[in-house]
Amino acid sequence: MPLLELKHISRSFPHAKGTLPVIEDLSFTVEEGEFVAVVGPSGCGKSTMLRIINGLMEPTSGQVLYKGKQVDGINLECALVFQSFALMPWLSVKANIELGLEARGVAPNEREKRASVYIDKVGLDGFEEAYPRELSGGMKQRVGLARALAVEPQLLLMDEPFSALDALTAITLREELLDLWQDKTMPVHNIIMVTHIIEEAVELADRILVLSTGPGRLVADLKVELPRPRDRRKEGFNALTDKVFSLIEERA
Amino acid sequence: MATRPTNAKRATGVLIALLIIAIVLAMFFAYRRSAGLGHLHGPRLHVSLSHLPYYAFCSFMRMTAAYVLALIFSIVYGLLAAKGRAWERVMLPAIDIAQSVPVVGFFPAAIYFFVSLAHGRFGVEMAAVFLIFTSQAWNMALGVFESVKTLPNDSIEALEAFGATGWLRLKRLLLPACVPKLVYNSILSWVAGWYYLIACEIIAVGPAHYELPGLGSYLMKAADKGRTGELITGLLALLAIIILMDGIVWQPLSEWAEKFRYEFAASSEPMRALGMLAVLGSVGPTVLKIFRNLTRPVAGTIHRALASTPPFEAAHHPALQRAWRIVRIGLIATLLFIVTKGLLDGTIALLRTLRQPWPSAVRQIPAATGASLLRMLAAYAISLAWTIPCAIAASESPRFARRLAPLAEIVGSMPATALFPLIVIFVIKVTGGMNLASILLILTGMQWYVLFNLLAGISQVPADLKEAVRSFGLSRFATWRKLTLPAILPSLITGSITAWGGGWNALILSEYFVYRSTTYKVFGLGAMLDDATYQTGNGLMILLTLLSMVFVVLVLNRLVWRRLYDIATDRYRIDY
Repeated sequence: MPLLELKHISRSFPHAKGTLPVIEDLSFTVEEGEFVAVVGPSGCGKSTMLRIINGLMEPTSGQVLYKGKQVDGINLECALVFQSFALMPWLSVKANIELGLEARGVAPNEREKRASVYIDKVGLDGFEEAYPRELSGGMKQRVGLARALAVEPQLLLMDEPFSALDALTAITLREELLDLWQDKTMPVHNIIMVTHIIEEAVELADRILVLSTGPGRLVADLKVELPRPRDRRKEGFNALTDKVFSLIEERA
Repeated sequence: MATRPTNAKRATGVLIALLIIAIVLAMFFAYRRSAGLGHLHGPRLHVSLSHLPYYAFCSFMRMTAAYVLALIFSIVYGLLAAKGRAWERVMLPAIDIAQSVPVVGFFPAAIYFFVSLAHGRFGVEMAAVFLIFTSQAWNMALGVFESVKTLPNDSIEALEAFGATGWLRLKRLLLPACVPKLVYNSILSWVAGWYYLIACEIIAVGPAHYELPGLGSYLMKAADKGRTGELITGLLALLAIIILMDGIVWQPLSEWAEKFRYEFAASSEPMRALGMLAVLGSVGPTVLKIFRNLTRPVAGTIHRALASTPPFEAAHHPALQRAWRIVRIGLIATLLFIVTKGLLDGTIALLRTLRQPWPSAVRQIPAATGASLLRMLAAYAISLAWTIPCAIAASESPRFARRLAPLAEIVGSMPATALFPLIVIFVIKVTGGMNLASILLILTGMQWYVLFNLLAGISQVPADLKEAVRSFGLSRFATWRKLTLPAILPSLITGSITAWGGGWNALILSEYFVYRSTTYKVFGLGAMLDDATYQTGNGLMILLTLLSMVFVVLVLNRLVWRRLYDIATDRYRIDY
């Protein structure tokens, strides 16, 4: 049984003239242990798709099956990492990370233990009591990541997680994310990442889904067979990047 | 970040402010020698519908006169304050104090002062215009100051590079830069002005026994005589004027003002949608259509006139400039003379008043202050008790927020003072006492400020934070605790500061009410002030009650609200 199955998902939004379709008839499955990247031009509904998977938004039509069951409301086995970090400015780093644990009714001392484990994993030691506004962008996204990992989700959803960061910070964080994902002691083995940076998708993912714009449809479903660690300067890397690029350009 | 003043500095600030206010107060009384309120006679008021248009016209003219004065004052004051650090250091704290002082308390003093200047009705009219002016001028002046201060440096340098100075600089750069904030604050001031206009008309007709023809006195009289029909017609007339002004003047003006906005300085003020029309629309589309058809020609004419007027094109004449320079010197000299003489007279009067034998009632002032504070707290608690749940409901349901906002806007822009006669008479009839009525009246002066600020705060909670708490599965209660309440805290503090300002003003009106020649009063600072003003005429008591009120207001502002504000903006700001 696949971990996640999207069946004929469509979503439209009310608009000045009737409704605006954002996603149309989108179907795909995600198997256990996969790192899937979803790429497409802006306005292709990839963020909307992520919110439908999480249960933040309902599809206009179609079904989302998680482990064979229809998703109803928020799927608490998922955790979302935001492009804008979405940290509570009035909570310390530690309190932000404990947010999801508190929601799941984890006892205070257990909360603390787990928070400190993930603070350690993402390299935030010494910043436990800092407030988000005192941190750099890269550090903030580390908090966002730790907050998502701390609830130990089966499926990690990432919405353009490195797009708001400068290029050098993004490179570091990508490497750290890969390390975490390959770390067998980590409970997360599935990631769906939405991005518009094609190189990022090629570097990280096992599989790349390409969406077209207006409305979003599935254009291609590519396996990435390149061996890890992947090197941007190698032949295969660029060939795949070019291929994804031309797929998007054809449909734009 | 600005350096925060220490407590000692704050305390000194309070003391200096008190001294200045005491002298200004004494100045009023220094001029009251000839003026007794006893021999004031106004025109007789008629509670009939045929007189209503005239009364509405009188009120409207008073508002207009005060607004024009406030507009001129704010531009001059704001530009001067923005001129340099030295000006700023004196003129900004002055506004801060003027804003936090309960102006209604000064109305009787203003009557004394202006009636001694010009006898009879004209004096009272001047006092009323002055009171409305004081409720309108400060925020507008601050708006001008901020506009000039936040002018991008390159614009200033560009003009300087072209050698543009003086008048040209004023009309091409400074004045246009002020327009957006000035228009926005004008709308706020206009709403505040109504509140104080009605208040002073009620005071005039009530305790001061002077009939100032206007909507407020008409409402008071109608309530006094138990004429419900006329009372409701009067309220409707008031509502009609407010809505018409909004549609004909303020709406086109705020659209026009948008032209002057710097593109890179994004609008931080909530753009005022015509919420009132939305409400009318939900009442009945026909009403809306009729209203639109009625106002369109007028609004269109104004709109065209504004559109065809290039911003501040004025005659550029050397002779004009020379004349202006002479007038300016004359003005400054006169102003200096008046201020010096006033301060001197005031200080002498202050000393003379303080040397009078102190009446035994002075000893009751602390207890009265306590009683009034308790009433304020009760009204504040009621305000919070309904506005916070409303704000939370609005945060959970955008539909509720969309319905609530225009409704609150229309009710909130009705001057609550217009409802005072109705509330007092009803409560006195039901409970036989004044205490509950007093708290309710304070409430009407407080609650809208809290609500509006909370609704503005709710609308600014970032969508991604809301998504984050939902995505992590926070319960409703946890969402309130972790997101909604912390997010609205800064707005709550800002709203509370304004609400307490409004509350102090309402307090003076609320503790002492004359109805059918019977005086209803409670034990409190406001009542004590009114008693001294209208009954005993004891100058020392007026001075001391006003001073203790100003003292409490300043101390609360500096030691409580300012601190809470610092904390709220420091920690609960959404700016990550």
